Amino acid sequence: MWTRLLRPAADEGGPPDAVLTLTAIILLLRPFEIWWIAPFVLAAACLSLVFRPVRRAPATWLLVSALVAARIVVVWPLSDNHIYLLAYWCLAIGLALSDPRPAATLSASSRWLLGAAFAMAVVWKAVLSPDYVDGRFFRVTLLTDERFADAALVFGGLSHQQMVENRTFLEPLPEGAALLNPPDFVEPPRLRAFATLATWGGLLLEALIALLCLIPAGGRIELARLAALLAFCVTTYALAPVAGFGWLIATMGLAHCPANQPRWRGAFIAVFVLILLYSEIPWTGVLADWTGR
Amino acid sequence: MKTERDRTDACARVSWRTLLPVALLVGVAIAQVTLARTAGLSPWKGGGFGMFSTTDDAGRRHVRIFVSAADRSEEMAIVPSLEDAARRAAVLPADTELSRLARRVVDREARYQRPIDTVRIEAWRIDYAPGTLAATTRLLREFVYRVDAAAAPRR
Repeated sequence: MWTRLLRPAADEGGPPDAVLTLTAIILLLRPFEIWWIAPFVLAAACLSLVFRPVRRAPATWLLVSALVAARIVVVWPLSDNHIYLLAYWCLAIGLALSDPRPAATLSASSRWLLGAAFAMAVVWKAVLSPDYVDGRFFRVTLLTDERFADAALVFGGLSHQQMVENRTFLEPLPEGAALLNPPDFVEPPRLRAFATLATWGGLLLEALIALLCLIPAGGRIELARLAALLAFCVTTYALAPVAGFGWLIATMGLAHCPANQPRWRGAFIAVFVLILLYSEIPWTGVLADWTGR
Repeated sequence: MKTERDRTDACARVSWRTLLPVALLVGVAIAQVTLARTAGLSPWKGGGFGMFSTTDDAGRRHVRIFVSAADRSEEMAIVPSLEDAARRAAVLPADTELSRLARRVVDREARYQRPIDTVRIEAWRIDYAPGTLAATTRLLREFVYRVDAAAAPRR
């Protein structure tokens, strides 16, 4: 049993090396801050990048999964959701590598994990959060979250001064209180349209991905699933400041690509790099400067 | 007609190795929804994938801490040594997190040899009105930690 967990999975029927390599890169790009967890995760990621037997050994990924889970417990309840997904994904890799059909097992795991994660995201947005479907979430977030500010200026048609005044307007008052002279709130039609597009575009795309992932079918459904995942990554992570989630989705999509579809595999690797560029290049800020916003 | 890969994929679907990770995801997500509904957990946290679904995120929550004793009653600033516990209590204003924060406050006051009988913690969030987006703060939870009562079971 234990020796089997240390034995590297064979190439024949095994998951593509790129999936394991990209997962190790994710661990290096977003290291954990807990001193007794981070060094071991980083060491496992480095060793798995350098040594193929380490990369393809189930024990490596089961250990990393346990360390990521420990981090979630230690900082409870502050971990972001992609850390949970990372723990499940590393567990899925470890279990798949110890299976007689590693590639097929990991492909099925990635589909189920993506389907369940997107389904929960849709349930929260469409059912459990009253301030999402009425547009409040994006109307407020585009104005108050500094990470979306440049996009609000460029695509929403706001000026810097209007942004400042709107932020003052959105400062909370004690319950029941009201100002004698409240500041103006300026919401150009373009900004309202941008918030509506983000609200419904995001929800519909996530619902489509959940549906396509939870339908256990191959053929055209499988290709539609991959296309929807790529579309989600290309559009969402251009603005959403959560590259860690995007890298995971791209890597899980890659694991789900059929072996005889090198173009799809290449597309997911390209999207992984694109999300890296999105996260490091403040392109909406550059656009805001160019357009004088 | 099914390909070889489809058949192996179908076999893998029923394998416990495929189901275990997703079963964990669903189990944690159900627990997260339950905690969000019953204990005030922020939908953004807890592994339920509720991020970017609501304005009720960690940045729009805060706690206020009030300490009192025989000759004092005052609001305490959230000093750096309390920030982590305060953040956790704001995100999940349940007894466990609020008690943890209160114990940190008691320990800190003891270090500075200041008397303390009671720690009162308020957890707040920001609401935005539908339509107008007028922002108000709303009390999520008020929690009182009595130092003597907390110490009694340990004796």
